Amino acid sequence: MKENLPIVVYILATALATFSVRVLPYYAKFLNKLPPFVGRCMRLLPIAALGPLVFPGVILDFSPQWYAGLAGIGASFLIAYTKGGMIFPILTSILVTYIALVL
Amino acid sequence: MEFSDKQESLTFRRGVREGFPICVGYFPTAMAFGLVCRDVGLKIWEAVLFSVTNFAGSGQFLAINLLASGSLILEIFIGVLLINMRYLFMGAALNNKLEDGIHGPKRLLVAHGTTDEVFSIAVLHNQRLSWPYMIGLEGIAYIGWVGGTALGFLIGMVLSSELQMAVGVTLYAMFISLFAQELRQKGIMVLVIAGFSAIMNSILILCLNVGSGWAFVLSMLTASIFGALVITEGEALP
Repeated sequence: MKENLPIVVYILATALATFSVRVLPYYAKFLNKLPPFVGRCMRLLPIAALGPLVFPGVILDFSPQWYAGLAGIGASFLIAYTKGGMIFPILTSILVTYIALVL
Repeated sequence: MEFSDKQESLTFRRGVREGFPICVGYFPTAMAFGLVCRDVGLKIWEAVLFSVTNFAGSGQFLAINLLASGSLILEIFIGVLLINMRYLFMGAALNNKLEDGIHGPKRLLVAHGTTDEVFSIAVLHNQRLSWPYMIGLEGIAYIGWVGGTALGFLIGMVLSSELQMAVGVTLYAMFISLFAQELRQKGIMVLVIAGFSAIMNSILILCLNVGSGWAFVLSMLTASIFGALVITEGEALP
């Protein structure tokens, strides 16, 4: 960590960020009147987050065996897309990455 | 769809019953979070504290990801704030449906328990939401989330060192699984928006040497604005 703060400070900071947006609408009425465009942006944020949460990290983390992570997430994508769920795709992805790393 | 709840009142018991599938659904995801926390180097109490104080899947996964990459606290704060912005709308909708007389700590607890899944169940009722119902619904989901985190962490402790290296892919596999489910349910726009943000984030980090936290915030914001511009109000919004 660049800042050398205790982990608990980061945890409480994220808790504050989460709690503040959760509690605000229970007390502030203006949120019922936000422009539709702003509303659409906010509802799209979690989907927009998925891209940068995976790339380029999944390639950089396994460098020089950059293909290992890609093989892993490729497997989890196929299973999650066809069968749904989360724990089975994740376990398969760990197995595929493991095989790619030791080969 | 709406629940036809003219006869049955919204009791604590009913909240627990309706929240149980959420609890079951949260458990494996929370286990994945516990596993990642251990992988990143957190202690078990820190992982559990994360889930107790945050109770937010995507926000927590984002935070641990940025934490692992050495992002600054401000970057993490803004990233988590943005990813959780959707709660503003969910809270505003639930607030309009709450029974009168839920104030102080009760109101704060209801707010803390507002998750995507809790919202999607509670908002379907066509009667006012009572305090016992809300605490039952949110409480059982909370137990699944916090319990899953602890168990996931403990399972991580018995893995071999070779496997631990491969476990580094867990977080990415989890996001790709979420992406696959969203893509299946909501269509090609999910790919367009997430692909846009993935490419932009990669360019910012690899070509322009922007810090990972700011690169994340910039690409997430730009992609969501892009998405909101191309999707009109009439279309099915993700």
